[in-house]
Amino acid sequence: MKPLPAASMHIALALLDGELHGYALMRRVEELSGGAVRMGAGTLYGTISRLLERGLIVETTDAVDREEAERRRYYELTADGRVAAITELERLRMLVSRVDHHLPGTAPA
Amino acid sequence: MISRTYRLLLHLYPSSFRADYGEDMVALLEDQLRDENTLRVVSRSVVDLAITVPIQHLEPYMRRSTTSVLVVAFVSIAAAFTVFGGPVGLAGAVVLLGLSVLVWQRSRPDHPPTANWWRFMLGGLGLLGILVAVTTATGELPSGGWYLAMATLFTSFGLIAAGIILGIASRFRPRAA
Repeated sequence: MKPLPAASMHIALALLDGELHGYALMRRVEELSGGAVRMGAGTLYGTISRLLERGLIVETTDAVDREEAERRRYYELTADGRVAAITELERLRMLVSRVDHHLPGTAPA
Repeated sequence: MISRTYRLLLHLYPSSFRADYGEDMVALLEDQLRDENTLRVVSRSVVDLAITVPIQHLEPYMRRSTTSVLVVAFVSIAAAFTVFGGPVGLAGAVVLLGLSVLVWQRSRPDHPPTANWWRFMLGGLGLLGILVAVTTATGELPSGGWYLAMATLFTSFGLIAAGIILGIASRFRPRAA
């Protein structure tokens, strides 16, 4: 499987815990990256649009009853999206492990 | 004020993207303004707009398949050959049209263009017939009319040639089971 582009990877990983709406997704990406990745609205929704098109995420807004104040659009990973996210996670783990193996001393204390 | 300006700036995006996500993007900006430093949110949004507006406009073109690009390129070069290349150019144009038909046919096995060969033939013959009728009726053509007549003649030849190529290709096309 081809690696996901960076923004797609961050969103897929952020959705591993379950459905989120746009703003919560943005905050989750920021949290998971330790504040290093802060997406703007155009990047976030552009990436969401691509992931929806590829069938990796799905909108779940109407899947459950929500209060009127919570009528935001929610998204969650599809089965394919979960596989893609876990594959990305494995790829990152393998990359870190290889770098650690080849360059001893680079692992955090 | 910031939200209103941002809403206006969203018109820089393609209308379909704006229709799908415009309201969500404004809501997201308002959430950020509520929770973060205004200057930071505004500067991030400006940079985001500068990067994502061109991307959203370019994406539909980048998604087009290589096949479509090849067919368009072949047909464009064939048209240029027909207009500027004389008899040799016309022969080159026929070859290029043949190539574009093959590429197209390979990419869309369920909707072969070869099935429409008679339309091309009919169009070319119709255009040629109109040209003959008009030149016979008007006699000698003025200089401007001569260029128009030549362009029409080459177009009709091109259509007839495409019809012949498509017709031949349809004969060699394997039939669906």
